[in-house]
Amino acid sequence: MSLRGAATVTAVECAKLARQVKVQVVLGACVAGPFAFAAALRVQSSMPEDTLFGRAVTDSGFALSLVVLGFAALWVLPVLTSIVGGDVFSADDRFGTWKTLLTRSRSRSEVFAGKVIAAMTFSVLALAVLAASSVVAGMFVIGSGPLITLSGTLLPAPRALARVALAWISVLPPMIGLTALAVALSVASRNSGAGIGLPVLAALTMQLYALVDGPEFARRVLITSALGAWHGLLAEPPYHGPLVYGATVSGAYALVSLAIAYRMLLRRDIAA
Amino acid sequence: MHQTPHITLEAIGVSKRYATHDALCKVDLTARCGEVHGLLGPNGAGKTTLMRVLLGLVRPDGGRVRLFGREIDAGGPLPDCVAGLVDVPAFYPYLTGRENLALLARLDGAKGPTRRAAVDAALDQTGLASRADAPVTGYSAGMRQRLGLAAALLRSPALILLDEPTSSLDPAGAADVRALVRRMANDGAAVLLSSHDMAEVEELCARVSILHDGRVIFSGTIDELRSRAPAAVHAIRTSDDCAARIVATWSQGVRIGTAADGGFDVAADSEALDAYVIALGRAGIAVRALERRVRSLESLFLELTMEGAHCADLAPASGSTPDEPDWELAS
Repeated sequence: MSLRGAATVTAVECAKLARQVKVQVVLGACVAGPFAFAAALRVQSSMPEDTLFGRAVTDSGFALSLVVLGFAALWVLPVLTSIVGGDVFSADDRFGTWKTLLTRSRSRSEVFAGKVIAAMTFSVLALAVLAASSVVAGMFVIGSGPLITLSGTLLPAPRALARVALAWISVLPPMIGLTALAVALSVASRNSGAGIGLPVLAALTMQLYALVDGPEFARRVLITSALGAWHGLLAEPPYHGPLVYGATVSGAYALVSLAIAYRMLLRRDIAA
Repeated sequence: MHQTPHITLEAIGVSKRYATHDALCKVDLTARCGEVHGLLGPNGAGKTTLMRVLLGLVRPDGGRVRLFGREIDAGGPLPDCVAGLVDVPAFYPYLTGRENLALLARLDGAKGPTRRAAVDAALDQTGLASRADAPVTGYSAGMRQRLGLAAALLRSPALILLDEPTSSLDPAGAADVRALVRRMANDGAAVLLSSHDMAEVEELCARVSILHDGRVIFSGTIDELRSRAPAAVHAIRTSDDCAARIVATWSQGVRIGTAADGGFDVAADSEALDAYVIALGRAGIAVRALERRVRSLESLFLELTMEGAHCADLAPASGSTPDEPDWELAS
């Protein structure tokens, strides 16, 4: 496998993604969603008090970004990761294009790497767009007042912005792990419905399991636990243990999922 | 001195098994520069599976495939000078024909202006230029077939594998593709052509391999195949079929059989058939219709593959079969 070959496949896959309506709609929603949320907060008197940073959401635009992050970590990020990750391989089954793709000058390894990188790129891009949009929407609609931390101290705007940015960055490892899981299910199922639906279902099941009183070890190996590890960054002083642990769990998910998917694709006969 | 053309494709003892079914069993095949090699066989004979193995899409259980002397591995990249069109070509439906080709050219490493020029040339060669900017989702099967050929031509192949490339095309389109295949072979490319159309194979191919149940049951030149072929079968209607049958019994090399739709069938080579028709005229019997029902190569193909009841009715094998119909051989 050559890096140049993988880069070529990545460029081709990204060009294909850019032409897909679902990708355009999802990225558009990532831009518009936080603005719509901020606008809704402005026109109503009640606040989302039962959510983390919900009470502070009208005082600081940074709190709005964190409320969006908290909500997205539960419901939106698993969908964002699987919308492309769960379809990037099975789409070629749906369209019957494997024989077209694999009779060019690129090896299966390069095709695999290119598709995985394209899926990861979309996940990262969608997260970045959502993060940027929520910060801009918060600052534009609510204002850039100081952010109250989980410890009760106030962070001035520049430090608050840095913490909020770090909080969004901290969900990258579980995003990559979930994308890899979606890729594996896309390769295994050869079905886009399963490729997109099963990772979302798995993530929601893990979220629900985290709410019930189960064994601590099981809770710690759930990749969705890593989606909440950013809370430590908003304490004073910040703590990083859950972040490191979450990144390790996410890395394990990514490695195992991609290894299984790679092996399946290499051994597969393109017979249809 | 006659020189053997350079072998570009060599399959040696290729086998593939699906569950309990042998899709391919020790298949040997070669394709040479400047030649069109026909691959024939009834449905399910293993032609498409063989094409897929040769293109690295399917991993064989046994045997080896060499392209330009290099052994290929399923999973590796296809050599730059090899292209293939397997089954019904498929493309990304939300992209236009031109965009699909541009992406495929990009995968092949073509850049910028070179890529655009290659795409334009392939579209022109396949007669798709006028519809190139329409989304593929609106393409007919024939247009997809043309786009598949364009995608193959992008690679300027020295070896091209074509799986029934004219199956979805109208007669004019099929003629264009046949001309294209001939031109490629004349330019030195090796072409492996899978087809159901016996006339197409006779017209284009220098060599033929016939597959049946995953096994090669004939491999040789088209002339070697012709020499083994039984006489062609013609349906004949005359002004007096009864008398015409009697004339047939006096004619050398003419065999007659019954036809379901009136008249009768005559199996004879060209010379014997000419003599028979002349004899009918001399006997005052008018020939009202004479239509070729089965070409001689088609007869042999059916005989070799024992395909269907029609074969049993119309193609008497030299070694008789239990289903052999009542053919009367004159003299």
